[in-house]
Amino acid sequence: MELALEQLQGIPTIYLIQLIFWLLAGAISFIFSLGNARIWTSISMGFFLILVSQFYLLNKLFYTPTVATFTYIIGTVAIMLITHGFLEYYVFCRTFEITGRKQTVYLSTMLLLLLSWVFLSINPEPSMFTVRNVKMVENAIWVFLTLMNLEIIRKIYFSIRDSAIAKVFICFGVVFVLIFLWKGSELYLQVFQWDRLWGNIAFQLDLDELEFDHAIKLDDSEDYWQRISFARQVYDYAGMLAAVAVSGTFAFLYRLLK
Amino acid sequence: MFQLPKGNPLFENLAVTKLKLTDVVTKLANGSFTGYASFTFPDATGILVFEAGKLVTTFFKTTLGQPLSDFEAMTALAEQMANSNAGTMDVYRLSKDLTMCVNSLLQGEVLYRSQELVLIDIKILLERIKNERMNGCLRIYTDEKSAMIFYKEGNPLGFFHDGSQDIDSSPGESHQLAQDPKAKLDLYTSVSADELMAHDLLDVINVAKIWDAAVARKQAELERMNRELAEKDRMLSLDLLNDLENQIRSVYVEYVGNVGRGIIDKELTTAGGNTCLQDQERSEQFVAALEQAAKLLINVKKIAEMKEKINALLAQARA
Repeated sequence: MELALEQLQGIPTIYLIQLIFWLLAGAISFIFSLGNARIWTSISMGFFLILVSQFYLLNKLFYTPTVATFTYIIGTVAIMLITHGFLEYYVFCRTFEITGRKQTVYLSTMLLLLLSWVFLSINPEPSMFTVRNVKMVENAIWVFLTLMNLEIIRKIYFSIRDSAIAKVFICFGVVFVLIFLWKGSELYLQVFQWDRLWGNIAFQLDLDELEFDHAIKLDDSEDYWQRISFARQVYDYAGMLAAVAVSGTFAFLYRLLK
Repeated sequence: MFQLPKGNPLFENLAVTKLKLTDVVTKLANGSFTGYASFTFPDATGILVFEAGKLVTTFFKTTLGQPLSDFEAMTALAEQMANSNAGTMDVYRLSKDLTMCVNSLLQGEVLYRSQELVLIDIKILLERIKNERMNGCLRIYTDEKSAMIFYKEGNPLGFFHDGSQDIDSSPGESHQLAQDPKAKLDLYTSVSADELMAHDLLDVINVAKIWDAAVARKQAELERMNRELAEKDRMLSLDLLNDLENQIRSVYVEYVGNVGRGIIDKELTTAGGNTCLQDQERSEQFVAALEQAAKLLINVKKIAEMKEKINALLAQARA
């Protein structure tokens, strides 16, 4: 218990605040997913999974490479589920077709996560490199699908702009802009090896101390500390604001549809 | 149309709607009937005069039309019988001589028509009838009453006046009427009874064909009317359906927005057109589909309101 408290104290405050907001967002979106149309269930379940994926913020409490990797995979599944929901909503706006069942959404998601866990279990424990690679893939997928979602939401909005629910899509637009900044800033850091995970890897490898000719400089973050600092601040605050925006959007949606 | 003496009634007040002209004529002809069959309709009268089973006279007149005889009268009578919903037939047996007199009334040569009695020397007239051995009928009448004197070869056969059932042997009423200064006179003559019998209209008139043609025309007219009615009903039904569709569309768009137009079109196409609104089960499925789509756009309370309005429109239309 003391150890847990000690480790909890080691977590940056902003991460805790972020987690609290994601907890709120996750709870609201989960409650909303119950008893609603299947398309809204897909979207709200996706945002709920973000909450689950954010538990990596507490990695000091239960960090294992496998668990960490699994949380990143959950994050990837989350944006895929959200995108799938918005795509289906767009299809509905164009063709007015609604097909499929809620159970299929739940079961497919569970199956995907289960298969992911099995995949991780049957393979060797992920190294630091593997963990970082999976995180980068997650961020890349987030950035790409976020841009796609922004376009889809724009089209949906123009299809139903005289409906009461159209305003919700403006809110979702704001959410995805914030998510783009959040995930995009982290991806930016990762691409140039300025992220913390790479910092840990560079520290572990400690190749700087080895005198090799033509050695590659593994960590040049000191040379670009200003942009790194800016990107990290964008990452921290955009993540928090995204959580706030998601909570507010689902609360608004709940009020409109209930 | 003036009254005819009734003689010995064979049938009275038979409903024409249950009779076929062919059967009537065949029965009277085969039975060597002498007398007349009178067909009375609300706005027309037809008379067939038989002498020993031979059809000697046909007569048909509508209230406002000209009297018809022979083929035209038979055709008109057939048409009237086939088309009329009301009418009665009476058949009276008469003597050969009286049948001749009836014939003269219907188709005889008219020597005097609507002649004022005061302007005629009735004695000279009666002498002329006697001297010329006329066969026919002298009709004396006022606006309220009429009386007839039937003659055979110049001699009175009998007297008949309105209200009496049979021929009288005494003049009575006729004399009284003749005293009325406003009385008028018609004199009809015809050939003798024997000459009358020489002709049989049934030799030249194919009653069966006339009747079948009349029935066929009636049937065709009925079918045409039914088709028109059905078409009218269909158009009315279509108009009503289109109205109902538009009303439902208005309600739906009012709640979910313009995207509702597309949803309604798509669901109607899936349901097979707006005829689904006429069927309870199909319309329930249609409304359920609209509700499912609306769940993505509006809240539960508004969906319930909207459903209530749409169901009310459907119930009203079915009523």
